[in-house]
Amino acid sequence: MKARLLAGALSMLLPVVGLAGEYDLTVDRIKIDTGDFVKEGIGYNGKSPGPELRFKEGEEVTINVTNNLDEMTSIHWHGLILPFEQDGVPGISFPGIQPGETFTYNFPVVQAGTYWFHSHSGFQEPDGAFGAIVIEPEGREPFRYDRDYVVQLTDKHPHAGDRIMRNLKTTPDYYNRQQQTVGEFFSEVSEQGFMNTVKDRLAWGDMRMMKADVEDVQGFTGMINGKGPKQNWTGVFKPGERIRLRFINSSAMTYFDVRIPGLDMTVVQADGNNVQPVNVDEFRIGVAETYDVIVRPQDAQAYTIFAESMGRSGFARATLAPEEGMQAPVPPMRDPARLTMADMAGMPGMDHGGMDHSTMSDMDHSSMAGMDSSSMPGMDHGDMMENEGEVSAPFYAKGSGIAPTAANGGKFLSYADLKAQKPLYEDREPTREIELRLTGNMERYTWSINGVKYEDADPIRLQYGERVRFKFVNETMMTHPMHLHGMWSILDVGAGEWNPIKHTVSVQPGTTLYMETEVDAPGQWAFHCHLSYHAAAGMFRKVIVEGGPETSQPSTDAATDLGGDA
Amino acid sequence: MNASKFIVAAVAMSISVTALGAGGHEDGQAAKNGEPAKASEADRTITVEMHDNYYEPEVIDVKQGETVRFVVENKGSLVHEFNIGTPAMHEAHQEEMEMMVEHGVIQGGKLNHDMMEMDMGNGHSMKHDDPNSVLLEPGQSKEIVWTFSEKGNLEFACNVPGHYQAGMYGDMNFN
Repeated sequence: MKARLLAGALSMLLPVVGLAGEYDLTVDRIKIDTGDFVKEGIGYNGKSPGPELRFKEGEEVTINVTNNLDEMTSIHWHGLILPFEQDGVPGISFPGIQPGETFTYNFPVVQAGTYWFHSHSGFQEPDGAFGAIVIEPEGREPFRYDRDYVVQLTDKHPHAGDRIMRNLKTTPDYYNRQQQTVGEFFSEVSEQGFMNTVKDRLAWGDMRMMKADVEDVQGFTGMINGKGPKQNWTGVFKPGERIRLRFINSSAMTYFDVRIPGLDMTVVQADGNNVQPVNVDEFRIGVAETYDVIVRPQDAQAYTIFAESMGRSGFARATLAPEEGMQAPVPPMRDPARLTMADMAGMPGMDHGGMDHSTMSDMDHSSMAGMDSSSMPGMDHGDMMENEGEVSAPFYAKGSGIAPTAANGGKFLSYADLKAQKPLYEDREPTREIELRLTGNMERYTWSINGVKYEDADPIRLQYGERVRFKFVNETMMTHPMHLHGMWSILDVGAGEWNPIKHTVSVQPGTTLYMETEVDAPGQWAFHCHLSYHAAAGMFRKVIVEGGPETSQPSTDAATDLGGDA
Repeated sequence: MNASKFIVAAVAMSISVTALGAGGHEDGQAAKNGEPAKASEADRTITVEMHDNYYEPEVIDVKQGETVRFVVENKGSLVHEFNIGTPAMHEAHQEEMEMMVEHGVIQGGKLNHDMMEMDMGNGHSMKHDDPNSVLLEPGQSKEIVWTFSEKGNLEFACNVPGHYQAGMYGDMNFN
């Protein structure tokens, strides 16, 4: 085992000869220390995150994965374009890797950028089975940097993934610690009046959910590159250097709002694809997304990389500093976000008990009239109303309680800002549209697409060569990061030919989002919400691409019962 | 609301454009460091290619007192600028360029010329006609002739929002 690890480490250090690299990964039971608690977990080559895989565009990679667990495993190369048999989803791409077995992946690397890999079996990924992939491009990049760091985020929970799933199934609000309190009820009564407050609570109760359902698994420790906030991962720099930070959100369930107080960030890549550079103060990274930013610290001081969870139930923290051991202040978390009626607008049955949206907005306007608007930002229910003067964030429901704003009042990255640096595909009309309603029942913790969960659903059949427009209608109150394997998701931000291409697109509560896919990869692929427990609960589909240059269609659908693993 | 916002922005725009035009922009470094010249006065010609999002070359050596004719070609697929100035001048100019993007003057690979010519009040416009700078659509080529009268901390830079920060700038090295 030691020798194997050493060999693995050596092969990682050797230069790529003839653009063919061989890499060894072992899948191991490990201990994970967050600084807050120590837990049993799963890692690669003895650690979590696993080793950073550095490939070169054009390289033919061979990756030997040895399963040292007593259960099946798999590795999915998230965002990589490859033959479907190499995609690593048990039951869809291959049968999985049995205990004691070594499976050899082999595929050409046809792209560049920041990606990641993770297990697609059970809850191994939330348990720690993930790592980063960095692919150097063949040509020069459309930006410059002196050094780069992977900044890989996760939401490490003291409970194992299968236990979390069991708890969610029996008690969906098991991990929802931010439920509104009696105190909050009374403060709302004093601000909004008794009847309005009661009506609001009744409306929420009617929808079988709570305003605090922004995050349904709380109680985690945010980690960056395997270090909790107290352990403080530090990236060193020399003042004046340009640093490329490769943010990867490998969380099971958590969206993070990321900022580096004192530094401007320039976003140059999203999901591995270059975007026209955009200067921001803060950005939100969805589960499974990646964003590459360039920063240029001029002063010999420490800077805190601060990543608050979207619902403000936890944070990750790291440091950029001229030397190890220096640190900058860690800001307090902002007030918890609360969903508003606007976030529920997509829910069927919103008009139960006369609580339709128009009634709500009338109520809000009257109850809020005369209030000083300057006192509103701190009030979570202040977001319930949409004044004419308020700026609504694109891609969020109008009046949404989770639409982000920058902590310093500056620029918060929006999907609307993402424009492809160099469009990969020619812009053309889609050949057809497929509507996918994102559905769920919080009371039973079921998550589905078009009301049907994975095990009961027929695959989505696409024809090779078509361009499909997917219409996501989010009828739930949670944000869903939808991930299509094997083919790019061309996110419609209204920029036509400049629409960015991604591998994961976040669909906000109560909104409709469109993406288009050039169906250019034969075989069968997974398509699912990347929130681990939503995918496992059934918000998952198999996509079959029919036709294409390779006539070798998958011979069997027999393994379907093994699928559904996120 | 929208209308008044637009007017506020327009006024801010015209103020900064006026400042730049008057050369009183920031600390007057531009005037001290150099000035535009005629092509016939050029000591030599340097071709600068603009790509997405970088220059070739990325460093240019100049001598104090010499006059250089820069032939600037946009070989990329996005709008780019070639602007000679100090880092502080570039920073100030980036705010103006940001406004040009917000008003749809710069749209990825295109310039909206009608919008640039539009009268924003008081005879000001979003024309990009400063002598130390050219703003080019893909495939376009233009010249700047510049006399480097004094040594200074000069960079050539693209101030289209984000481009400078992504690394689209280079040093003018005085020998």
